[in-house]
Amino acid sequence: MKTIKRAAVLLTLVTGLSAAPLLPAQPPPVVKPPAAAIEVEMIQPGEISLPAEFQVALYENLVQELQKKVGFSEVYRDGDRNASDASDLVTLHTTVIGFKQGSELKRDVTTVGGATSITIRCQFTDKEGKVLLERDITGKVRLTGDNLRATDDFAKKAASVAQETFSSDSTSSDSKKSGYKNVT
Amino acid sequence: MKCNRIVLWSLLLSLGTLISVSSAQQPPSATPASIEAVQVIGLTGVKQNSKGNLKVENGSLTFAFSKSTCEVPAASIQDVVTGTDSQRVIGGTVGTLSRLAPYGGGTALSLLRSKVDIITIQYRDPNGGLHGAIFTMPVGKAEFIKEALLAQGAHTSIRSQAKSNSNSPLQSEAMEQTK
Repeated sequence: MKTIKRAAVLLTLVTGLSAAPLLPAQPPPVVKPPAAAIEVEMIQPGEISLPAEFQVALYENLVQELQKKVGFSEVYRDGDRNASDASDLVTLHTTVIGFKQGSELKRDVTTVGGATSITIRCQFTDKEGKVLLERDITGKVRLTGDNLRATDDFAKKAASVAQETFSSDSTSSDSKKSGYKNVT
Repeated sequence: MKCNRIVLWSLLLSLGTLISVSSAQQPPSATPASIEAVQVIGLTGVKQNSKGNLKVENGSLTFAFSKSTCEVPAASIQDVVTGTDSQRVIGGTVGTLSRLAPYGGGTALSLLRSKVDIITIQYRDPNGGLHGAIFTMPVGKAEFIKEALLAQGAHTSIRSQAKSNSNSPLQSEAMEQTK
């Protein structure tokens, strides 16, 4: 009888121990850096010859996407004096590192050629200038649409990266309801 | 006496012809009252790809669209750049649907393209925030707008090439792109 009890206890222990690794491992909680506001600097062409309309479309689309999607309470434009008073301000610096201007006509006719792509180095820094995140993001237009649609693609991807990276605890309830953030 | 009159008349006629020819050769300096344009992106409170009328008057760039207007003071514009592009003649939803036309009809329709001028501006709002806006318009109109804006206090990083007679507009745009 004693042997049976011991065997049962042992069996339970062995089963329990062997089952433990099969349980899904809990990922360590990711601590997102707090960011109540973001300042978007003008796109820097760097050494790339970038047409002015692309530079402006990239900047404007980026500001619009950040206002729409991401939980920043304020989205400041380059040079906005109000940004200096904002707490937990993150600044987004962007530099073009690759640009290939395709052709809408070629895309329409061939459906495989003429793609436009823009690769931009995005650097998120805090108020002290410490780099919080650096990532290269590419915007493309492959099939339909004009060349400037690549700027829209880039902006959506960059806004998603910002959303994944920074916490949005300070977002006001009104802006959450409307789906749009405060426009500055 | 009669001979003198004939000489006088002929002189007057030749002078008149000269004056009319010289005035015809001068580029039109006055800005048209308003130019049909499409605001691609950038103006606050204006939807993307809104059609309207663009004009420069009283020190401002005014975009009038569907019973509303948006003004940008020329003095706040820190850069004006012109460019050229082409776009499908049949655009929008109809253009997208036309791609499905059988026997390569969609592809043939996409070959129908028209050239457009592009004008890109960068300006500051009262808080110092930087904005950008892009407009497209019929060919040959962007330079008028640019010249008018510069005359009313706007700035540019690329001086207009229109004054140079040797360069065609396309050449000047190519130079602008490479700078």
